[in-house]
Amino acid sequence: MEGKLFLIRSLGGMACITMLSACVSSRIEENRQTVTGIEEGEALVILGRASYNELETEESFTNCMAKAMSRGDSPLALVTEKEFKDKLYPWFEPRTAPTSADDLTDLFARPGVAEQVSNTKVRYLAWIDGNTVTIDKGGSFSCTLSSFGGGCFGMSYWEEDASYQASIWDLKNLSTAGEISADANGTSYLAGLVVPIPIMARPGSAACKALAKQLKEFLIESPVES
Amino acid sequence: MLLSLLAALSVSLIAGCGTSVAVKGTLPTPVVRQIPLHVGVLYTSEFKEFLHTERVRERGTYKIDIGQQNYSFFQRLFEAMFVESREVSAPPLSSKDSKGLAGIIVPKITKYGFLSPHISGLKFYSASIQYHMTIYDMDGVPLAEWDVVGYGKTPSSSFGEGEALGEATMLAIRDGGARIAMETVEQPGVRKWLSSNGIGIESRAD
Repeated sequence: MEGKLFLIRSLGGMACITMLSACVSSRIEENRQTVTGIEEGEALVILGRASYNELETEESFTNCMAKAMSRGDSPLALVTEKEFKDKLYPWFEPRTAPTSADDLTDLFARPGVAEQVSNTKVRYLAWIDGNTVTIDKGGSFSCTLSSFGGGCFGMSYWEEDASYQASIWDLKNLSTAGEISADANGTSYLAGLVVPIPIMARPGSAACKALAKQLKEFLIESPVES
Repeated sequence: MLLSLLAALSVSLIAGCGTSVAVKGTLPTPVVRQIPLHVGVLYTSEFKEFLHTERVRERGTYKIDIGQQNYSFFQRLFEAMFVESREVSAPPLSSKDSKGLAGIIVPKITKYGFLSPHISGLKFYSASIQYHMTIYDMDGVPLAEWDVVGYGKTPSSSFGEGEALGEATMLAIRDGGARIAMETVEQPGVRKWLSSNGIGIESRAD
């Protein structure tokens, strides 16, 4: 009897989990320009492209990428964005950072810059550019509360699109190593059946995990022969 | 009597509403080519104690204390930019006080402004700070002057209002400092001053 109850509870729990997470579709594209490979003692830094409008790369996304890259199989050594920017101040600030790997030769010729980069042990720099936006929303959802009780009724939805690109620069060869892009799309729902039931799609999280996995493979593996 | 007391209490509570912002944190030392000159720097009390006060309708009074952060950051900035920088009084300087100095730099905050999501309708706090930089000779004759604007922004979701405005202001000081570190030698007056001291500096465009 106890075993049956446990089975029913487990099945119920699994059904709830399935119901509460909505589908996300994602796509990854990679463009490799050089042979890569990261040796022991070499590190990666992930920098979010900043802008002065509302649509800039979220800090939470670059933090998610950094966490995913430094864990799991073959974790990579990472230098934090703050540490790298502080050590290279003022050359990687929002308005002063190089916009292309072609600018690296000039930058590294400046006094102290190459030495500081060498001190951080950063071999690869990944610029993350993109954001997650709501592209559609609708439905009707309301909650009421009275002296007789309360409840929520209706259904609302919102569709989000997460689109990010990583440009990978090789700071040893002062060149672009390649680009990886990740797109994820999903619709979240909020249903009201007395209690509100959120069914969440997390395209930002899906794009982060997909991009981090691909970036790790990109840096570790070297499928192109020089 | 009771109503009057309540009214007085309400008025004093409303008048007491406001946000005090302390600009906290550390700013890095710039990695730049050091200019081989000894300079004096005049930090006026207005600069060291700069406090921005602004009353925003329905939000109360904002008091943003920028002075101390600016003062300590500019000290490190000029120490990194020049072989020596030492604090001096207002020119003209006596021959004893000006010994070895090639000029006197006077940084001044001319404008400070901020935007909150309540005002802008955007999802971030932003701050901008404008500096007016002047280099004088020992007699107080201006040799070069230029303006620098620093800008910073921080998402509204990250912090409370005071902390978010403090962070945006800190980033504005950092951005302004980056422009000063990189662009001082680009100023025509500064190039002339450096040249008169036998120093030729390549511009970034060269």
